[in-house]
Amino acid sequence: MNATLDKTSFEPRLTAFVCNWCTYTGADLAGTSRLQMDANVRIVRLPCTGRIDPLFIVKAFERGADGVIVSGCHPADCHYTSGNYHARRRFAFFKELIEFLGLPEGRITFSWVSASEGQKWREVVNDATARVRALGPFSGYPGTELPAWPAAGAPAPNPAPGGGGER
Amino acid sequence: MKELRDLATKLLAEGTVNVVLGWEEGPRGVRPAFATDAAAAGRLVFDPRCTQNLVPYLSPRRTQVKKLGKAAVVVKGCDARAVAGLVRETQLAREDVVVIGVRCGGVIADPASPEPLSPATVADRCPGCNSREPKLADHTVGELPAAPPGESRRDVRIADLEARTADERWAFWQDELGRCVRCHACREACPMCFCERCVADKTQPQWVDSSPHPRGAFAWNVTRALHLAGRCVDCGECERACPVDIPLGLLNLKLARVASERFGYTATDDPAVPSPVGSFQKDDAQEFIL
Amino acid sequence: MNGRTISRSQLAALVDDLVGSGVGVVAPVRAPDGRLDYRPVARLEEAVLDGGLPRLSLKSLFLPPTEPLFSFRKSGPDVAIDSVPTTFPPRLVLGAVPCDAAGVAALDKVMGWDYRDELWFGRREATTIVSVACGKGDASCFCGATGNGPAGTRGADLLLLPLDDGFAVEVVTPKGEALLSAHAGRFGEPPNEADVARRRAGLLEGRVEPVGSLAPVTAWLGGHFDDPVWDGIALRCHGCGACASVCPTCHCFDIVDEPEGVTRGTRRRNWDTCQTARFTLHASGHNPRSVQDARYRQRVLHKFSIYPERFGELLCTGCGRCSRACPGGMDLPDVLGAIAARAAAPAGGAA
Repeated sequence: MNATLDKTSFEPRLTAFVCNWCTYTGADLAGTSRLQMDANVRIVRLPCTGRIDPLFIVKAFERGADGVIVSGCHPADCHYTSGNYHARRRFAFFKELIEFLGLPEGRITFSWVSASEGQKWREVVNDATARVRALGPFSGYPGTELPAWPAAGAPAPNPAPGGGGER
Repeated sequence: MKELRDLATKLLAEGTVNVVLGWEEGPRGVRPAFATDAAAAGRLVFDPRCTQNLVPYLSPRRTQVKKLGKAAVVVKGCDARAVAGLVRETQLAREDVVVIGVRCGGVIADPASPEPLSPATVADRCPGCNSREPKLADHTVGELPAAPPGESRRDVRIADLEARTADERWAFWQDELGRCVRCHACREACPMCFCERCVADKTQPQWVDSSPHPRGAFAWNVTRALHLAGRCVDCGECERACPVDIPLGLLNLKLARVASERFGYTATDDPAVPSPVGSFQKDDAQEFIL
Repeated sequence: MNGRTISRSQLAALVDDLVGSGVGVVAPVRAPDGRLDYRPVARLEEAVLDGGLPRLSLKSLFLPPTEPLFSFRKSGPDVAIDSVPTTFPPRLVLGAVPCDAAGVAALDKVMGWDYRDELWFGRREATTIVSVACGKGDASCFCGATGNGPAGTRGADLLLLPLDDGFAVEVVTPKGEALLSAHAGRFGEPPNEADVARRRAGLLEGRVEPVGSLAPVTAWLGGHFDDPVWDGIALRCHGCGACASVCPTCHCFDIVDEPEGVTRGTRRRNWDTCQTARFTLHASGHNPRSVQDARYRQRVLHKFSIYPERFGELLCTGCGRCSRACPGGMDLPDVLGAIAARAAAPAGGAA
């Protein structure tokens, strides 16, 4: 079995939001081709990258993801003609925004993976997993503790941990 | 001033409009005015205290204003971009509003301040303004004053933040956003936040936690900034409305720069220019995509 | 004045004593942007006493913008509830603005009315409030009209009145007395009565409040729910709720259940405001307060009619924060003045 099952090292959890028509099929191809890859990625299949609201990424981090992969059809390949073009602009804004907000670089991976690129999917998954593994758990994501000031002097009565909650 | 008052009086008298949205003296500096007769039109003012953008009052949500009837709205160059934004995004038919442009030499940040316009008091968006005379106007009044004083404080702050490490930026924003109480005043005061139902108010599913804990404050502020990316008209109302002084203008301006650098778009009062989020180029830069 | 004095250095030593003994000391602190916030301090030097109104009112220390009520988790076939503590470690607020302290006292009534709010009173009991008389009023302040004033003692356990070096200390409650006796060595002789009287009068010197007596307004409001005065009263109101966020007495909250993973979550209460359209929106789509005029009327009635009728006091302390925070230029004293004029008018006065 591959090294990702080693219980002693940190195993990151990544969420992948992928387009049904290209990347999902590409990931399927990787599987039917019996390509070995890191088993840290949970795939969420969507009809198109145009359906991927950046809020999905925020939500994934809120719920404990250490990293996120977003992947869809190469330019000119969109099943709906232009969904990926629109998504690309939205992702550009999102990427620049979260960088400006100081979200650690390397936790989000954007990629184009076609239905025939099982091999590329494996690379994307392995690279993203390695990057996030090196960064460690995303414990810095805002949790649910009350800000220090209004509750000053009071104990933090919230039993929930910081970070993304239950995994 | 007389020109503005005379025009408002004329528009009301001839029945072109039922109400003129402008500014008047109030208990704390100038405040929005809703002139429905000649007497009220005679009280309209425009001077460097008139920082408020009146275009949010054209929103269908402002039923109390809507019922006054057809409106004329007095706009500065920045406010005219909001009218254009609403027309561009089909929220407002151009012929349903009479636009009175005022030539502007900059406004002060706080409409209640007795201080004159100076580099210290000028609103963040004014220095370097390139739309001091609205093009999207049915009437334009006043002489063009001198350019706004001072230099952009926001440019300095953004450059300062960008020079820091990601961790330092993260700490800065967690601190600023940590004050957020999720009142959503930023949204209500925004001319471009016109959604009938905001995604932050949806509960099935609840995409954005409604609590102002750090998680909810971060999710909301990311959402607000992103939903205005390429749409923000830089009128400053969100930041002015914020009761806890979160520097929302920095987020807006950062994304405005992205729109400009990546997509060649700057906020404009020309409604025919397509929005960068409603359009695309096949060769948009994609260096961040593997 | 039934009190003592305390010098600035002794006050600093008192803060050190308290912090050293584990009491959380909270005071107005200057934020990097120049505004004040109530924040924990380790030393007196960090505090800004009599610097004017902090950004958010004192209510945020007792009813935080968000707080957990309990957490729930699936435990086998059952649901387990993890409650939150309702007792709190001792805390001292130093430098509360009198209109803020008065707001907390006003809220005690509703918080202990048909249901005793454990979290509110848990924090209240753990907290001693030391107000500092306010010399920083401006043209939007009307604390006098609400019956409090810049040296008002409502809600305070001790009131400090600035002297040349230090403060005259007025004992208001047994809790204040307890603090004073526990640290008796830090306090000095009683102040010079004439000096105190002069300084108190000085706080009121040249002050002109933007609104007169509120008694006629309160008396008139009850019978005039449908009066034409309300038509167009909120023309410039965006319904943004910034006023409620900064208000020392607005206390409406929303209760939400937030999942935190698949098998657990937390129930929280968060600030809410009657100024937004959604506040009264029914599931059917009907909204009994469908226009902003009606929502603004609710704000005025709750503060100046409903609350006084039920609890015998105003739900407003005249701090003026709502006027300063409003992006639309709504001004509560201006509105109250308009209502007072209406009440005084022969035709308008008729019910």
